[in-house]
Amino acid sequence: MNQRAQVSKGKAMLRTFWKYKALYLISLPGIIYFIVFKYVPLLGSVIAFQDYNIFDGFTGSKWVGFDNFTRMFAHYDFLNILKNTVLIGVYDLLLGFPAPIILALLLNELRLVVYKRVLQTVVYMPHFLSWVIVSGIAIGILSPSTGAVNHFITWLGFEPIYFLGEESWIRSVLITSGIWRDSGYGTIIYLAALAGINPDLYEASEVDGANRWRQTISITLPSLLPTIMILFLLHIGKFLDFGFERVFVFLNPLNKENGEILDTYIYSQGLLAQQFSYTTAIGLFKAVVGVIFIVTGNLLSKKTTGESLY
Amino acid sequence: MKKWIPTTMAVVLLAGVMAACSNSKSAEQPTSSAAASTKPAEKTKFSISLRTLAFGHVEKSPDINQDKWVKKLEELTNSDMNIVLVPHKEYEQKMIQMFATNDIPDVVQANGGVNGKELAGSVKAGVFMPLDDLLKKYGQNLLKKVPKEAWDKVTYQGKIFAIPEYLSNPSRRAIFVRKDLLDKTGLGVPKTVDEYMNVLRKFKEMGVENPYMGRENFKYADSFFGAYDVFPYLSMFEKQGDQVLPKFYDTENMMKALQTYKTMFDEGLINKEFATINATVFKNTILAGKAGMWSMNANEMLQWETQLKTTVPTGDIEIIPAPTGPDGKGGHYLYGAAPRAYFINKNVKNAAQIVQFFDWMMSPEAEKFFTFGIAGDTYTETNGKIDYKAPTDTAGVDEERYRQSFLWLVQDTTYNKGTLGLTEEGKKLMNIFDTTLKNEGRDGIEFEPRLDSLAKNPDISPISDQAPPVLLSHMVKMVYGKEPISDWPKVLEEWKSKGGNDVIKEANDKFNSKDSGTTVIMPRK
Repeated sequence: MNQRAQVSKGKAMLRTFWKYKALYLISLPGIIYFIVFKYVPLLGSVIAFQDYNIFDGFTGSKWVGFDNFTRMFAHYDFLNILKNTVLIGVYDLLLGFPAPIILALLLNELRLVVYKRVLQTVVYMPHFLSWVIVSGIAIGILSPSTGAVNHFITWLGFEPIYFLGEESWIRSVLITSGIWRDSGYGTIIYLAALAGINPDLYEASEVDGANRWRQTISITLPSLLPTIMILFLLHIGKFLDFGFERVFVFLNPLNKENGEILDTYIYSQGLLAQQFSYTTAIGLFKAVVGVIFIVTGNLLSKKTTGESLY
Repeated sequence: MKKWIPTTMAVVLLAGVMAACSNSKSAEQPTSSAAASTKPAEKTKFSISLRTLAFGHVEKSPDINQDKWVKKLEELTNSDMNIVLVPHKEYEQKMIQMFATNDIPDVVQANGGVNGKELAGSVKAGVFMPLDDLLKKYGQNLLKKVPKEAWDKVTYQGKIFAIPEYLSNPSRRAIFVRKDLLDKTGLGVPKTVDEYMNVLRKFKEMGVENPYMGRENFKYADSFFGAYDVFPYLSMFEKQGDQVLPKFYDTENMMKALQTYKTMFDEGLINKEFATINATVFKNTILAGKAGMWSMNANEMLQWETQLKTTVPTGDIEIIPAPTGPDGKGGHYLYGAAPRAYFINKNVKNAAQIVQFFDWMMSPEAEKFFTFGIAGDTYTETNGKIDYKAPTDTAGVDEERYRQSFLWLVQDTTYNKGTLGLTEEGKKLMNIFDTTLKNEGRDGIEFEPRLDSLAKNPDISPISDQAPPVLLSHMVKMVYGKEPISDWPKVLEEWKSKGGNDVIKEANDKFNSKDSGTTVIMPRK
């Protein structure tokens, strides 16, 4: 390529830039926000490789290489915590992820608009409760002596179950409470996608004699697939990131064995015991796993369905 | 045609962002400069961080620096304080953030001596100044009144680094009983564990829902560990033979204590769901009149009794001696000698004045001000006799408590003599502190700073009033019958293998070598 072409290309770029200067100006605060609050703090991850002391800072703290990672893998409970994290992540993916889709499909089948609106609002609501409140409600209704759930169980003639006092129940409680709180809110995107489906398709299929079930399988689901795929990719990127608060509020010594996940472990070790470097290493490990998942997922999805995040 | 729209929008957006950024600063400036201009030079000007301690009056106040009592305090001491509040719940995190960002006020309030977690090692890092010389010159009253144990808590490598608030009677937790119910049992005040169990069984028979009120992690529900002297807490090392070991190594007594709780659990004397009962449920259950006996801080007695009476008019709360174990003693764990302490930043210029400010807290003038408030406003004085009406409404009580406990930065925090002395119930409570509580309580050997091996591994490390997580899980499971109590030696093995061996080695090394970096605090009782 000769020099002239390069110059003119640069000029053209400048010209476009000038032409859309207002747009670039508007995007500036956003770009600055991401640099200052998202990219600069990333540099803080170096403390995972240091023996960090807050009074010496990044520059003064001693470098220890991969010591913190070694310590993490050598920890007597690491495998158990990782197992819990992965298991809860898998359950959430299998049960928690499809819940809003199913709910959206069901809502979509409602023909009475007023009823649909009311129902939508009702299922959104729990999302606005904090986890502390959700756990309070859960502990209340699951209580073996006073809770509604156990009243029902005893009415059926079974022994009451101390859901929060049993290791075997904690994961189910975590997933169910998550579904209860967030699946309604999660339907928003799917309902929007559903609204975008061309009604002609349904009319045409009706002419062809397709019933509701057939329509859902052959029109609604394929139309939703791109949205589902994108959200799925975003979800597996956060696979190990189940969230600290929603687990922490349910943990007690009786169920910790099966309930402790990386996030709650980071909280107790990092914030309460001030092991900053160590827990940054764990956090970094989580993030790396997340990146690997999202990249592979994206690649697979691009190859198979043509849908991708980037 | 309408090209101007995006451009203007962009400008407006940017301007908005900038305005939002600069607003916070411009709002602060006028107040501080105005305060400075009224009376410059002489005033003792300093900033101070204070934990809100979940005090209603503090947490609800829109701006604590504009508070009437702060203003008055500043007037009396000719000072200009800038109080920086640290939220109670996230205290440790916020404090560490403060040190990490190097945004340290002139005076920093900390909780437990020089090695508290909230200080994040700042004393060792040389953030604060030693105060010995200043105290000799300007803090005579403090040196005279504050007891040695409290000074010990704030001494590092032989130098005093903070001004401590102190607790002359560290036995603060007590057994509370519903006297009206106890009278009905006809059993009299119980003393030993067995007598206690009989009372609890009778309570159960009478239909009391929670004969002994349990709570998650045995917090404020640990009275029977006290009876057997096996608190698995931070300050609870003891000499067993020629070794320094944690008290929970006393397998025999630990198993007896656990068995006591298991019996209570099996017979329904403690709530079957105590593992999930949190502080709020705990308090509400008691105030609803559904508990017969529980453990809590003695100084809150009058307040709780008032609240209980709104639901159960006949409810009568009383403090009785805690259950005694095989050695004839009992009680709860003892609080540290210095509940709050004030460190002075080494960059501060007017440290002498600040020390004087704290010294004033010990004066009769201060005592009168914090106890009764302002003459003509909250009390009247005729011929030296003070007429003070204690507030009865919630907001008023909150405000009084705030003035007497929160704002009175250095004092003996056992109880407020001034106001308690005004009422019969108050006098009775003071008497309980001076007799019942003074004679009970469990203490052990404590290391300051905390042993490195404990600091590094929170799983095996207890906190001031809670067992280490590794033990706690087993303790709760044993009480719930999921593990046999006879497995306690196995639990000890687990604790040892997860890092406990290092703890014992370090404890014994430090106990025997008496190196200058570590203070070994011997049991007070």
